[in-house]
Amino acid sequence: MSGRRAETLVIGAGPGGYVAAIRAAQLGRRAAVVERARLGGVCLNAGCIPSKALIHAASLYDKARHAAELGIAAERLSVDLDRLIEWKDAVVRRLADGIARLLKGNRVETLQGEATFLSPRTLLVRGAEQSEVLEFEECIIATGSRPIELPGFAVDGKRVLGSSEALALRALPRRVLVLGGGYIGLEIGTLWQKLGSEVTVVEVTPSILPGAEAECARVVARNLKKRGVRVLTGSRALALEEAPGGARVRVAGAKGEEAIECDVVLSTVGRRPLSDQLGLEAAGVRLDERGFIAVDERQRTNVPGIYAIGDVAGPPLLAHKASHEALAAAAAIAGEEGARRPRLIPAVVFTDPEIASVGLTESQARAQGIDVAAGKFPFAASGRALTMNQGDGFSKIVAEKGSGRVLGAHVVGADASEIIGEMGLAIALGATLEDLARTVHAHPTLPETLMEAAEAALGRAIHVLER
Amino acid sequence: MAERSHDLVVIGGGPGGYVAAIRAAQLGLSVGLVEKQKTLGGTCLNIGCIPSKALLESSQRYAAARDELAAHGIKTGRVRLDLAVMQRRKDEVVGRITQGVAALMWKWKVKIYTGEGRLAGAGRVALRRENEEEEIAATNIILATGSVPAALHGVDLDGDRVCTSTEALAWRTVPSHLVVIGAGAIGLELGSVWRRLGAEVTVLEYLDRILPEMDAEVAAEARKILAAQGLAFRLGQRVTAARAAGGQCVVEAEGEKPLECSHVLVAVGRKPFTAGLGLETAGIELDEHGRIPINERFQTSPAGVFAIGDVVRGPMLAHKASEEGVACVEMIATGHGRVNYDAIPSIVYTWPEVAGVGRTEEQLRAAGVSFRKGSFPFLANGRAHALGSVEGRVKVLAHAETDRVLGVHIVGPHAGELIAEAATAIEFGASSEDIARTCHAHPTLAEALKEAALAVDRRAVHV
Ligand SMILES: Cc1cc2nc3c(=O)[nH]c(=O)nc-3n(C[C@H](O)[C@H](O)[C@H](O)COP(=O)(O)OP(=O)(O)OC[C@H]3O[C@@H](n4cnc5c(N)ncnc54)[C@H](O)[C@@H]3O)c2cc1C
Ligand SMILES: Cc1cc2nc3c(=O)[nH]c(=O)nc-3n(C[C@H](O)[C@H](O)[C@H](O)COP(=O)(O)OP(=O)(O)OC[C@H]3O[C@@H](n4cnc5c(N)ncnc54)[C@H](O)[C@@H]3O)c2cc1C
Repeated sequence: MSGRRAETLVIGAGPGGYVAAIRAAQLGRRAAVVERARLGGVCLNAGCIPSKALIHAASLYDKARHAAELGIAAERLSVDLDRLIEWKDAVVRRLADGIARLLKGNRVETLQGEATFLSPRTLLVRGAEQSEVLEFEECIIATGSRPIELPGFAVDGKRVLGSSEALALRALPRRVLVLGGGYIGLEIGTLWQKLGSEVTVVEVTPSILPGAEAECARVVARNLKKRGVRVLTGSRALALEEAPGGARVRVAGAKGEEAIECDVVLSTVGRRPLSDQLGLEAAGVRLDERGFIAVDERQRTNVPGIYAIGDVAGPPLLAHKASHEALAAAAAIAGEEGARRPRLIPAVVFTDPEIASVGLTESQARAQGIDVAAGKFPFAASGRALTMNQGDGFSKIVAEKGSGRVLGAHVVGADASEIIGEMGLAIALGATLEDLARTVHAHPTLPETLMEAAEAALGRAIHVLER
Repeated sequence: MAERSHDLVVIGGGPGGYVAAIRAAQLGLSVGLVEKQKTLGGTCLNIGCIPSKALLESSQRYAAARDELAAHGIKTGRVRLDLAVMQRRKDEVVGRITQGVAALMWKWKVKIYTGEGRLAGAGRVALRRENEEEEIAATNIILATGSVPAALHGVDLDGDRVCTSTEALAWRTVPSHLVVIGAGAIGLELGSVWRRLGAEVTVLEYLDRILPEMDAEVAAEARKILAAQGLAFRLGQRVTAARAAGGQCVVEAEGEKPLECSHVLVAVGRKPFTAGLGLETAGIELDEHGRIPINERFQTSPAGVFAIGDVVRGPMLAHKASEEGVACVEMIATGHGRVNYDAIPSIVYTWPEVAGVGRTEEQLRAAGVSFRKGSFPFLANGRAHALGSVEGRVKVLAHAETDRVLGVHIVGPHAGELIAEAATAIEFGASSEDIARTCHAHPTLAEALKEAALAVDRRAVHV
């Protein structure tokens, strides 16, 4: 069978796929991208962007409600969730239009439809009206992931919501039970709590945010408790039952079983790769034991000419990891020299306060047998944090003791997401503690806490009281 | 009583002096710190960086509650301001931090002398408090006496309504019409505070641009944004007189009609403070700007006397003072110590913020350096949209041949936090490609820096 030809064909227009297509085009390839739903993927339509927009609005509301100590009194505050969702949708629309323009501007053809492999060199694209067979020289698979559902808690869009449904909800649920204390559940749970919901989180492992640096996660746990969010760790949701005026969830914890009443259940128990509806067998592409497409460090699958990036190609399931791999795959296709990129993927959690991490944690480093020097600096000693009225949290630097080489940085506190960028670069450049300590940091700013943490690791922080 | 003596005596307890004192103690020196005010921390902690940032934060929150909530579907009735409470929180923040500094001195066993210090012959500092005078012997002396607001000829300060930043940080009522003389960082920050709290604000500037120290393009963009917030800029104005007259104030500028207003803030810069320091007797002659001349080892002309911070050449910034304090002390104790003056960031805490590090486009042109420029607007950044703050841009300037990053200039949300990565890049001699190849978390504003770095090579993905 033969059809139209594209040089580089990308499946999926999320932050992996659209970035790959644009970069391939910039590097001189004739590129096309196939998308069955909407440009921007999960990230733009049901993930990073809508969640962060709502989180921002919710924290504006929360801050306005608690501004008395700053001398500000906003009377009769209330949330119009309809308007809020419309604002969020407008943000998403603007950015989606932007992506469409970028694809066009870079001469990337966009095909609307569902792609399946027919062979290692051809794809079938099924659109609403017609189907088409496309030949390619290279294909980049960027189909992303979908939520996992717990048995007994199937997402029905009414009683049980997934994150996508939650981010589109136009009436605030009074009582919410969040299944899964990972970052997606906690971000949405916190935002609803700020808007006025009563929130309970049920997490099976012994602590929330199992992927995050443990000390950072503890700060968030403490703050959730202060906010009145009930967090049940080491607990398992067993069953969902209808109850008068809502639902009841039976939860088994260390102290036995308990029934929790709620209006909606938010199911955020993880995501799995979208690798099973693609006809990968026809192409002969190999999966790993968890269903992710197996790739090498240049994003190549076992089939020559076929690449995979983003959520479908393995953890961490993060948008910038997808985009980062997109650049790497496009470079590999274009035969760019020196295209290797340091694989240092930061992770950011937009809870309250935020957590941001890059590189190794102290325990990971120790587990690798590294002799560790670590230093910490509290936000309570940061002039900037105090002027912002946000003295909660700390910055922590992990380094190798002998060489002083920085291995990781972990921040929990206000705007953590914006100060981790420096550390990604510093680690990529092979910085030592001494380098960080000797780089001038503007006063008063939050990044000073990173510098002081490095000094603390060297045993000579200026602004900490404990030795 | 046996005479006091130290390895090092520092005169002035600002971010230059107190940081130098701590670092010296860490290096094993016995240290005395002379400060004439009751609290440590100098201009920065008491009447500068910290109180201004506290008010900037509070006033921004007030403006956000008043102006921004509606767009996000949050309804509110009247938003009321209790300025007394706002000022009290500011004072509490200042109190907490200055007490923190005092505790640090105690921890490091730095001896505090409250009083006015003066050079009193080789290896000696005279300490005056009230009517007593005492002498302290010091092997090394660091002068860190900072700066005070520069005066403007013809302007009669009345310490209340025609005044400097110190008073303007403490006003108990919102001015109805504030005229700010000088469109530098301090003028724009305090102008923003009072504008947000409801004042009509007019900014008069002698030059034909604002923020003369910053990159011109970035400053011009900042001017547009701030003007839209209601800061009325009048550029190219030579102010000849300002005074309080009756219940009003009047500001006169050459060739203009006298301007009536309720308050006047003079923010035309700061000048080094050396009065009563005994410099003449020590044989130290000030330079033409009134600064204490030093060599690259921070030494003044007499042996064993050093100077750092606002009182010497270079940008008048707290972190520059601290950095010099550390380097100077390390020089004294170990023979080495260095400040990289090419990598000192500076920030203006308006909203959005303005920040820069390294060389500006104008400086590079003047020096004949060939460079490439990458620019990325926050309008194309997802996080900026989610924050509802899409104004501004990031600009990366890199050497045309080597690609080394020479300057980064930002106007935009949290520019002050973002500039840290740029300073790190410059400090490490990184290329724009180094920034471009580093994975930046999504969705964050820092991605705009990465995209601007990509744009240097015409490869931005999102523009
Ligand atoms: C609520 C939530 C919040 C999140 N917040 C963050 C965050 O703050 N930061 C962060 O880094 N990450 C965040 N993530 C994760 C992030 O969204 C994903 O890691 C990212 O979207 C992965 O990008 P991708 O390109 O691999 O896949 P996706 O974004 O999932 O895109 C895949 C695209 O492929 C299309 N597709 C799939 N199969 C086919 C097919 N056969 N034919 C045609 N098209 C197909 C899909 O329709 C989709 O548009 C969040 C996720 C969620 C759910
Ligand atoms: C409103 C305002 C906002 C500012 N915002 C910022 C900002 O955001 N970021 C930034 O980096 N910079 C900012 N600055 C500038 C910053 O405050 C100064 O650069 C910094 O304080 C300089 O530090 P220093 O140690 O050299 O001097 P100073 O902080 O001025 O300290 C000098 C100290 O010496 C004492 N002293 C003087 N003479 C004697 C004597 N003879 N005996 C004993 N003690 C003496 C003084 O009382 C004073 O405490 C701001 C300044 C102002 C006015």
